[in-house]
Amino acid sequence: MVEGYSPNTFEEALKILNEEDVIIYAGGTDLMVKNKNITSLLPKFTKDLLYVGDLNELKEIKEDDNKIKIGAACTLSSLLRVESIPEVLKEAIQNIASPAIRNMGTIGGNICNASPAGDTLPILYALEAKLKLVSINSSREVNINDFIVGSGKIILKDNEMLESILIEKVKFNKIYYQKVGARKACAISKTSFVALAEVSNQKIIDIRIAIGSVGPKIVRVKEAEDILIGRELKDIENLMSEVKKVYSEKIIPINDQRSTATYRKTVVLRLIQFFLQYKVVFEHSVKSEK
Amino acid sequence: MNKTITLKINNKIIKTEENCTKRLLDFLREDMDITGPKEGCGEGECGTCAVIIDKDLVNSCLVTIGSVEGKEILTVEGLKGTKQFDVLEKCFAEAGAVQCGFCTPGMIMAAQALLSKIQKPTEDDVRDGISGNLCRCTGYNMIINAILMAAKRGEGLW
Amino acid sequence: MDSIRKSVVKADHKIKVDGSAKYIADIKFNNRLHAKTLRSEKAKAIIKSILIPDLKDGYYVVEGKDVPGLNKVKVIQNDMPIFADKEVNYIGEPILLVVGPKLEEVIKILNEIKVEYEEDIPVFDMRESKDIFAKYEYEKGNIKDTFKKASRVIEEEFYTGYQEQAYLETQGVVGTYKDGKTSVYGTMQCPYYVKNAVIQALGCNEDEVRIVQTTTGGGFGGKEDYPSLIGSQVAVAAYKTKKTVRLVLERGEDISYSTKRHPALLKYKSALDEKNNIIGMDVDITLDGGAYATLSSVVLQRSLLCAIGVYNIPNIKVNGKVVKTNTPPNGAFRGFGGPQSIFAIETHMAHVAKEIKCTPLEFKNKYLVKTNDDTSTGGKFSYEVKLKEMIEKAEKISDFSEKYKKYSNKKGIIRKGIGMSIFLHGCGFTGSGERDLIKAKVKLLKYEDGIIEILVANTDMGQGLKTTFKKIVAKVLDKNYEDIIYKNPDTDRVPDSGPTAASRSIMVVGKLLERAANRLKENWIEGEEQIIEENYKHPDLIPWDIEKFNGDAYPSYSWGINVVEVEVNTITASTEVTGIYTVFDIGIPIDETIMEGQIQGGVIQGLGYASCENMECEDGKLKQHSITDYIIPTSKDVVNIKNVLVDNPCDLGPFGAKGAGELTLVGTAPAYADAIENALSVKVNKIPITPEWIMEAITNE
Repeated sequence: MVEGYSPNTFEEALKILNEEDVIIYAGGTDLMVKNKNITSLLPKFTKDLLYVGDLNELKEIKEDDNKIKIGAACTLSSLLRVESIPEVLKEAIQNIASPAIRNMGTIGGNICNASPAGDTLPILYALEAKLKLVSINSSREVNINDFIVGSGKIILKDNEMLESILIEKVKFNKIYYQKVGARKACAISKTSFVALAEVSNQKIIDIRIAIGSVGPKIVRVKEAEDILIGRELKDIENLMSEVKKVYSEKIIPINDQRSTATYRKTVVLRLIQFFLQYKVVFEHSVKSEK
Repeated sequence: MNKTITLKINNKIIKTEENCTKRLLDFLREDMDITGPKEGCGEGECGTCAVIIDKDLVNSCLVTIGSVEGKEILTVEGLKGTKQFDVLEKCFAEAGAVQCGFCTPGMIMAAQALLSKIQKPTEDDVRDGISGNLCRCTGYNMIINAILMAAKRGEGLW
Repeated sequence: MDSIRKSVVKADHKIKVDGSAKYIADIKFNNRLHAKTLRSEKAKAIIKSILIPDLKDGYYVVEGKDVPGLNKVKVIQNDMPIFADKEVNYIGEPILLVVGPKLEEVIKILNEIKVEYEEDIPVFDMRESKDIFAKYEYEKGNIKDTFKKASRVIEEEFYTGYQEQAYLETQGVVGTYKDGKTSVYGTMQCPYYVKNAVIQALGCNEDEVRIVQTTTGGGFGGKEDYPSLIGSQVAVAAYKTKKTVRLVLERGEDISYSTKRHPALLKYKSALDEKNNIIGMDVDITLDGGAYATLSSVVLQRSLLCAIGVYNIPNIKVNGKVVKTNTPPNGAFRGFGGPQSIFAIETHMAHVAKEIKCTPLEFKNKYLVKTNDDTSTGGKFSYEVKLKEMIEKAEKISDFSEKYKKYSNKKGIIRKGIGMSIFLHGCGFTGSGERDLIKAKVKLLKYEDGIIEILVANTDMGQGLKTTFKKIVAKVLDKNYEDIIYKNPDTDRVPDSGPTAASRSIMVVGKLLERAANRLKENWIEGEEQIIEENYKHPDLIPWDIEKFNGDAYPSYSWGINVVEVEVNTITASTEVTGIYTVFDIGIPIDETIMEGQIQGGVIQGLGYASCENMECEDGKLKQHSITDYIIPTSKDVVNIKNVLVDNPCDLGPFGAKGAGELTLVGTAPAYADAIENALSVKVNKIPITPEWIMEAITNE
């Protein structure tokens, strides 16, 4: 018989985590699907559960001039109501599943589930989020792209828990997010795309692109971004095929029951082109002319 | 040996020794004989199991009873009899929003949760509010009309 | 006095809204045993042995050898076993039930059973199957000569995919046994189909079987014949154990193994003369029946009858077959063969039009059937055909032709498109089925106190019969519909008024109730209990000959126009539906709001069929086998539908009503396809039209 621990404080939770072999359970939306049993039977958990969804320490949102700190057990809906959460992250959250799932699912859960299709992940990769991992006797910060090492694989130690997500306040004046799913709600992403760019004086000062569901992990290709950083807008057209070629080699989607590798790859390359040609170059020129 | 779990369901305090990982949906339907919430899929996709916990719409097939101790759980049975339910019921009737009825309790809870948060929803707000409740009979539009109608007729109730 | 069509609050509204309506899984049966199904892991194999572990007291295995009567599910042919015992023909085929009081133990036993198979070579592709369940053909005029003298021949092939009914309430039945009588309760459309199946399974007398429909959470054809299979299974289990046995399918099981819409291959060949008029059409249809015949022969009949759609073509040849493949058997789904053919004929006509540089609507207009025209099988459209008026109305509400022109041949990231379909649906059972097979009978029971009860076998699965039937009887007798009784049918109490299928309930059974009510009115005796029986009378039609496939296939037809407007994002190849406009002729509506519900629901199901409901079978297994992966539209994927009804009362139906249950699904797919073609200048030959297909089509531009 599986037990459940309901610690009253974060300290208590860390203590239990250190002493027992438990599953960290926040919103449960991924865990309950993974451990689904037939109607009337208990879910197929083989380890005790550690309920952390109500711990206040994990639901705090703090901000200062430079960064925002989001508690891992913040539900996805709650983040939609907080002003300091970046708009692009809110846009991604708004497209996740349904209201009921967003009311229970947490940002920490979305990260630790580490699905290649996790919808908050491309944004967090693009924002270069850091994760604070805490245990009873340790605390460390890791980059999100070091935390997730494969599909469903994270580098969390047995007695560690994700406590919070740290996002630096960054300024980009070109922001584009596109989720591609089979329908407008309750859809696991076929692919998802986020692009952030800072354009000024007809130059790309900075650019970050992150893509989901095209490999076991979120794909961010610094090599391609470096081709574009510092370049003038008038040169972008000529660089397009080189940039697309680099991405093309790093995007390795699969065929599955949801979509095909060909479609996923084609969409992503078109989104990259669209972002650069239209959002960056065209829209920028139109705005500048005004 | 399971420890006692205390739940608050439709304003009643219930104590149970069922295992803490038991699904709230199973507890409601089997232990409490509350059958308004239904099992349409068991994977949080169809919304027929939707209930309201502390004012939030949730899919009870994905909730363990151990994780909702001390919280206020409301099913359609608990909503029945309130002025809000009356308005919703009448508007669902007038707008033709009920066909086979299997999605209806979940839709009512979704409507209730939405209107509690947004008293004057736009059509898009309503579409989003019920986006996690699948319906195969109505094509949704008559349900959306019902909820928009209820928001108008029940002004001040939510 | 109010016309019957004025909307009323549905009779079963309250219990469905307050959660008190009991569906089969909600009902607590005392001392019930759980049943779980052991299913074949092979697509085609001989069963060599089944090794069953020692069973604890109170636990049973129910299998082929426990069937006292015939181990075959009574549908049309007797080819499908209740429990596969000698061989299996599809992955998922039921072999036995494990039954017992504790579910964990039932699952444990299930997992310990070992089946030894001797595998054979399965056939998965309908193109390769030589096993034919049924085939028919018909001709009109002289097709050979026509093609000889044709100036031009346009030939193409269409494919339509699976569609899963995705009713929100999964299949479920409970079998009980008491004092020599076996009863089955469950979610179903046709209690008498289940009764006849159980009688055959138990080899018993009529009065030893009782079937009771429980409140049904959606059917759409998916609960037309499938309950006969699982109903027979729990009946045998209840009979063997002398206990109550409950079998409710999990969603994944239901999607994976219950019946679906037949995938189809449709070949169309049109002969044109030198003036580019269609002078002949040759159609060849293949339906994928899956592993057993079920209702396939009748699905094929309807598919062939719809093959020429709403057009009057002088020379035609239509032939078709439904074949066996080692995949889950396919069955009934709203439209029943019609949606496949209507998609093909509408799209083919549009393609021919474009070949000869005409717009689809201009071209189709030349061939539309008119009142009193012959049907393609030598019957007659003897009731008024209002297509021209309907097209005008469709134009008015949608601005179709203007937009069609405006959206054509555009470039840009977002492409708009608009499409139209024109279609029909034959009302009622095909041919002489009503007269020779069903022989419907209804009863009205008037109690001493004047309260009236409707006794029919038809079931309300959401389409509103509980309300519309009451309205019909109440209107005739000048009573309040709320005072009429109409319970979920119980075969112990109701006569066989036939299945709830084929868009027959209102028109055929409703008419019988109207007649019965009129007779009761004329013969009313105050203070006395009276029973009025009314039997089906076949209308005067050109006799249907199934061998020659000739005559009046249907007594009357309902008609529809759909216009669908889309916006395609050429970057992601995703399509958004931005407008839906419909015009329907269903005689007259018995209740305007209920009819609106049928339109909204049916059209959106048709939209799913056209776009997102992709289901692929690979090596005999369905890839999209959960409600997460089988994509039906959500509230955010649909738009409001603007509808106009055109009145065209038909004396065959009560108050002039015709069949409407299936018509509303039939036309959305071709209208959607037409819109996609308009937006992108591509040629659609397949549904569902997925973003993956669109992306390939536009990148190959």
